[in-house]
Amino acid sequence: MNKTYDVVIVGAGVIGTSCAYHLVKKGFQVALVEKKDLARETSSHCDAVALIPDKMPGIDAAMGYASIQRFKELEKELDYDFEFHQNGSLHLCETDQEMEIATKYANDLIAEGYAIDILNPQELLEKEPFLATDLKGGLFSHECCGVNPYKLCFAFVDAVEGKGLDVYTHTTVTDIKRDAENNVVGVETDKGILKTNKVVNCCGVWAPEIGKMVGIDIPIKPRKGVILISGAGFPICKQKIHEFGYMVSKFDDIQCERDPEAEKYNVAFTIEPSAGNNVLIGSSRNFDGYDVDAEIDIIRVIAKRAVRFLPILKDINCIRSYAGVRPFIEEHLPLITHVKEIPGYYIAAGHEGDGISMSPLTGRLISEMIAGEEPCMDVSPFSFSRYNK
Amino acid sequence: MKLKETGVLTTADLKEMGRYPSEERMKKGPVAVAECVQDIPCNPCETSCPFKAIHVGENISNLPNVNVDVCNGCTTCVAACSGLAIFVLDKSYSDSVGKVSFPYEYGHSFKVNDVVKAADRSGKNVCDGKILKITNTQKADKTTIITLEVPIEWVDEVRSIYRDRQQQLVKEVLSEKLGDDVMVCRCEEITAGEIRAAIRQGATDITGVKLRTRAGMGLCQGRTCEALVNQIIRQELGNSPEEIGFSTPRTPQRPVTFGTLGGDLDE
Repeated sequence: MNKTYDVVIVGAGVIGTSCAYHLVKKGFQVALVEKKDLARETSSHCDAVALIPDKMPGIDAAMGYASIQRFKELEKELDYDFEFHQNGSLHLCETDQEMEIATKYANDLIAEGYAIDILNPQELLEKEPFLATDLKGGLFSHECCGVNPYKLCFAFVDAVEGKGLDVYTHTTVTDIKRDAENNVVGVETDKGILKTNKVVNCCGVWAPEIGKMVGIDIPIKPRKGVILISGAGFPICKQKIHEFGYMVSKFDDIQCERDPEAEKYNVAFTIEPSAGNNVLIGSSRNFDGYDVDAEIDIIRVIAKRAVRFLPILKDINCIRSYAGVRPFIEEHLPLITHVKEIPGYYIAAGHEGDGISMSPLTGRLISEMIAGEEPCMDVSPFSFSRYNK
Repeated sequence: MKLKETGVLTTADLKEMGRYPSEERMKKGPVAVAECVQDIPCNPCETSCPFKAIHVGENISNLPNVNVDVCNGCTTCVAACSGLAIFVLDKSYSDSVGKVSFPYEYGHSFKVNDVVKAADRSGKNVCDGKILKITNTQKADKTTIITLEVPIEWVDEVRSIYRDRQQQLVKEVLSEKLGDDVMVCRCEEITAGEIRAAIRQGATDITGVKLRTRAGMGLCQGRTCEALVNQIIRQELGNSPEEIGFSTPRTPQRPVTFGTLGGDLDE
């Protein structure tokens, strides 16, 4: 250790590995420091879809779209197979009220130029024959894609490790060193000091800890999500499917009546076919500190919701549950930012459930900022200075 | 009760439950002790006893009570107990050694007068013992009963013979290096070679291997392969079992339908 780098990245989840990849591509010498192993926390305890219809119209959806385009390029750039697939996604409406909200919402996205079809119940069943027959309709988004989240992390590292990237796993950051003017000068770890003028905090739910080291308060909270896995079998569904209520559980500003139990645990049905022929079924959102137990009450509600939308699941086996904590931020906008009070200190964190999908773009934006280039999109909404107002 | 903490019954547990013969009784001559403490529905001990010294009663889930005044330590019940839970103890033999008779249903080549390693209830070798008697009668339905002479202070603990060869086999298997083409994870069809490749890519523990290879992600959730993956990591990196860890235990313990999980059985 005790080497000098252009940039030191703290945290080797999907955001950290993407930043590492994009920075090395710009010619920087980069160190990636990780307390555990690559993709060991949130990025391997999630599902992984890049969606349009789960984003708010405006910058949120624009980022989702830009990320999908970037995934298509990455699939060609990266040798390591991260199981990219683009087969669209469905959002289901259970009630007329939901269908009404969804239609209005879809029209806003369509107006922004996204390819979304509004489906009637018949069209829905043509897409997915195993769906419950009493649904009121839904949305189909053509562009949506999926990846294997932890393989994406491995792919980013695999492409640049030893070619400008040094990876320090099982290495804990203990302090961020600054000079008298508050400029970053190094990263202290339990294994030695890495000299650098630039550090990127990519620690997701643990970003506040790395923030405290320089005396800033990063308002990220862990928000837990539980997911169930089926045994491998015949294809139950062809694409990612979500209940539109997922939007309701994600954004507090969309209000409509839902199943009271689903409401209580903030559960919304999602299902995602995986490359291993299992399906991932989710999911819940609740605040429970850093705990990653999958509570039986939440599992029950998720299973119940899943059977309600896809009755065929009733007789299909669940083989595992898991839970991860997502970096929640009140404004539903991540921090992708330089902290100007601490020159050389960057944050890329707070993507909540969109970290995988927004990782390519986040890495690119950070690399552009550090290279002093004009970012490929307006980054002011992601600035840390939003808390100074 | 130690049984509930460690899975191994202790003499103290039995004494606490009032199910162990007194020192005084053992000093008078051989006597059966039924180390049966769970409500298992069976009663061959009662029906086999030629002296009607064992009582289970109408409800066959009752624990057997040995009438130590009637029991003469004939060992009929030792062979009859399908749970291999009955032993005959004798401290009347001498001041320094006593006798323990126990069922032994493994293949063996022991002879009378052999000195063997005696094992306690956990299977651990605690002292040496001399074989006094080996019986394998028609009546005992091929259950061998061995009587060992052990130091008197071990009569309350010795319940079998230490299985040296088996322990040796386990050690041999664990130090064996699996060929690269050996299938380690059968559910996901992952070979030892693929696991070693994952270790070269940076995996240092069970979860690291799992994420890089899918070993342990299949139907059995690592029940079959995890010990082998652990062994390969240990051989490749020299990591301790603590460092290698295990995959996070998660609900459900075995496959269960989403219908059952969702609680819709009553509908």
